[in-house]
Amino acid sequence: MQGTLDVLILRTLIFGPEHGQGIARAIQQSSDDELLVEHGALYPALQRLEAQKLISAKWGTSANNRKARYYTLTKAGREHLAKQSNRWRRLAAAMARVLGPEPEQG
Amino acid sequence: MTNWRPRSDEDFSAEVNAHLELETARLVEEGMAPEAARAAARKAFGNVARAQERFHESTRWVWVEQFLQDLRYAARGLRKSPSFVATAVLTLGVALGLLTVAFTVFNAYVLRPFAVHDPSRLYRLGWQSPDAAGRIFAWREYDELQSRTDLFDAVVAHDMRFIHSESAGGRSLTATYVSANYFQALRPRLLMGRGLGPADAGQPVAVISEQAWRRMLDADPAALGRTIDFDGSPVTIVGVLRQEFVGIDDFPRDIWVPARPEAAEGTEVVTRLRADVTPERVEAMLASFVARKAPPKVSPKDVRAMLVPNATANALSTDLLAALSPIFAAFALVLVTACFNLSNVMLARAVARQREIAVRLSLGASRPRIVRQLLTEGLLIAALGGAAAVLLAAFLMPAGIALLFRTLPPSLAALVRVVPMPIDYRVVGFAFAGVAAATIAFALVPALQASRPSLTDVLHGQRAGTRSASRMRSFLVVAQVAVSMLLVVTALVLARNFAAVGAIDLGYRTSGVYSVNVRGGHDELIRTAADALSADSRVAEIAVTSGNPLFVTHTLAAAPDGTDRGEVPVRYSFVSPEYFTVLQIPVREGRAFDAKEAATSARVAVISEATARAFWPGANPIGQTIRIAQPTNSRMDEIEGYTRVTVVGTVRDVVTGMMVNGPDRGHIYFPASAVHRRASALLLRPQATGDFRPDMAFATLRRAGLDPAIFEVFPMGEMRDAQMYPLKAGAWIGGLLGGVALALSVTGLYGVLAYMLTQRTREIGIRMALGATARGIIDLVVRQCLRLAGVGAIAGLVAAAVAMRALSSVITLEAVSLLDLTPFAAALVVVFSAVALAAYQPARRATRVDPAETLRADA
Repeated sequence: MQGTLDVLILRTLIFGPEHGQGIARAIQQSSDDELLVEHGALYPALQRLEAQKLISAKWGTSANNRKARYYTLTKAGREHLAKQSNRWRRLAAAMARVLGPEPEQG
Repeated sequence: MTNWRPRSDEDFSAEVNAHLELETARLVEEGMAPEAARAAARKAFGNVARAQERFHESTRWVWVEQFLQDLRYAARGLRKSPSFVATAVLTLGVALGLLTVAFTVFNAYVLRPFAVHDPSRLYRLGWQSPDAAGRIFAWREYDELQSRTDLFDAVVAHDMRFIHSESAGGRSLTATYVSANYFQALRPRLLMGRGLGPADAGQPVAVISEQAWRRMLDADPAALGRTIDFDGSPVTIVGVLRQEFVGIDDFPRDIWVPARPEAAEGTEVVTRLRADVTPERVEAMLASFVARKAPPKVSPKDVRAMLVPNATANALSTDLLAALSPIFAAFALVLVTACFNLSNVMLARAVARQREIAVRLSLGASRPRIVRQLLTEGLLIAALGGAAAVLLAAFLMPAGIALLFRTLPPSLAALVRVVPMPIDYRVVGFAFAGVAAATIAFALVPALQASRPSLTDVLHGQRAGTRSASRMRSFLVVAQVAVSMLLVVTALVLARNFAAVGAIDLGYRTSGVYSVNVRGGHDELIRTAADALSADSRVAEIAVTSGNPLFVTHTLAAAPDGTDRGEVPVRYSFVSPEYFTVLQIPVREGRAFDAKEAATSARVAVISEATARAFWPGANPIGQTIRIAQPTNSRMDEIEGYTRVTVVGTVRDVVTGMMVNGPDRGHIYFPASAVHRRASALLLRPQATGDFRPDMAFATLRRAGLDPAIFEVFPMGEMRDAQMYPLKAGAWIGGLLGGVALALSVTGLYGVLAYMLTQRTREIGIRMALGATARGIIDLVVRQCLRLAGVGAIAGLVAAAVAMRALSSVITLEAVSLLDLTPFAAALVVVFSAVALAAYQPARRATRVDPAETLRADA
């Protein structure tokens, strides 16, 4: 769904600057591989968020001394995330009501 | 990363690599073997190349790259067909070049701001009443205006006069008397020296234009301090202006001198509005100021102040655009023909390249991409054409101006000045806007057409889409013929007009007659001049008049006396008895004036035949009385002391004023001598034997103690030519446009026929094999040709009729009719001859088709 990945990236960055690979891992772990099939798919989203000035990027060095491009949440990004999270929560709640309780696994 | 520059592809690749390494390291940490970890990291990432491609295309500059790619491709393609490129560039260059020339003149007179400080807030002051308008103010009014600092930052007076200068070879100069603040308020840039200031008031000093500096002083670098003749007295040059500044209206000046506020004549006033004041407010506040300008019979409150933007020589207005639009339309139509022509050639090219395009489509190029590519090719041609157009305009402008001065009657050429007409950024911008429009016009349809082939057909060697393409090509030819028909008709109508007006019998002689005028406000000198010139042995006869009949008309209100008929406007002149003999206006009934009547300003009149017919139809006018009434509007004059006059004779009808308006509907002559207060011009007939020249008249006037500078001596024949000149120029320009358009259509038609025949070679071969004669084949071509040309010609004739109807409601030429069948018929002949010329060669070639060969080629 359009915008899902964006929100996940922003949410990951709440805990501080992170590079692409780190973000990919975090999303995979927190969503049980459901929302990010390929790491490569992350980059167009990062590109877009950067262009919208919701995140900023800077080359830095990782913990194990490798060069990596670190993304940081901007003020605008933080506000955007707050708004979007609310929207997603409402949407998820509405969807849950419409779809009803999960059928019991046979 | 900075905001204004997109990220490089390399930077993105580095990030992807870093990602892969981090992931590999992580997997190794989790216990994988390095090789397997590397493979797993790649697998988790997905397609690296595709990610990079997506990144590349997401940057904004990719279209530039594609455009450059298209451009390179187009350039390569065009280099392969240099003759096509040359024809296309030439076609477009000529058509767009002509339009650019028209725009350059428009730009110079309407769009280009004066080369002064902040021209945008300059406004000319004028006044307008229901039946009159003016722009002259008295000097004391100027002083009053200058004190209105609540409205104006500056109030500038500039008053133009023609002056006589021996330094200019005895010719006239255009002089401006300027207020003390003129140079300080306008700040024009000077080549050398200084502008005029308050300290120069009353001093014999002058600033001259760059052109005058070149003409009069041979561009002397030490011109400052030199003196030149100004109406008989010396003035010292203190400054030379740069080429770009020639004054702040549409008539360029040669020389600027300090104003003489003591002079009776008024001045034009240009103001610089304060930044916090709107023109509307100023107009409203000046109402009472201009009320005193009210002409007789007009209530002062009906006089309105007018602020006319004075940033450019002529203010841009919808009225002006409407007046000029037919001219621009004519120039634009030539460009339209050129675009039709090019479109046609491009279509043919596209059909020829169908295989190439089909291959590209089948290799995965999208249709928009192909269209873009073909448009790029068009754009490249158009850009070359645009450059050619600008070059052509740069060459044509000086040539056209030189031609103008060559062809103007000499006495007029000495007075006329044109404003600087540079090819500036507006002109270049216009040319390239033309390029963009032309590209769309001539390249879009062929591009859409060409990118639509059915792949299988084309790859199998079938020419798909040729049906609709050939329909399109036929349409384009029809349109071209129609447009050239319209332009040829227009040209012929203009030429016929010119001829018709030239053939108008004025009713009096102009050749061998000289008109002697006194410049403003010195009418009292007419008598001395008349005496001096009549004493000259080279002069045969001299007549006094209240105005040169070719330019000056006066109207009064008159009616036949003793009837209850209302007064009608009638033209009138005060003339001496010699007037009728100098101009050879024959007396029809009764007699002309005698010397006594002239000397005493007797209340008698000689009337034109038309007046006699109108006032006393069928009756003898001699001895009848004419009643002269008070004027009912400001276009009529009141003649003090004249209420009733007795008719003593009738003379032949004449044409006075503008020739195109036709003969006077009436004319009343009153007797006058050189001392009469209305005497303001002399008409002079030299001895038939002597070779009289205007400068001889000047020498005679000088000997009589008169200042020759305040007199003008013009040959009447040239004055007639001067009136004819706009019509002549119109006919020439119309002819040029019509000729170019026709030439373009002929080449267009030729191209279509030639192409059609190569397409139908096989058919023609079969026909010939089946026994068709060469004549039959020629008939085939001619029929095709006539069908195209015929449809185009009819459409063009209809369009021309509509255009002429519209024009004749705008331009009132009473002497001739714009809706005249002759030019239409002549245009039909011209266009069809041209079409026949275009068809001849392709038809001849068709008859030489060898049936055996075509049939074999097909097998």
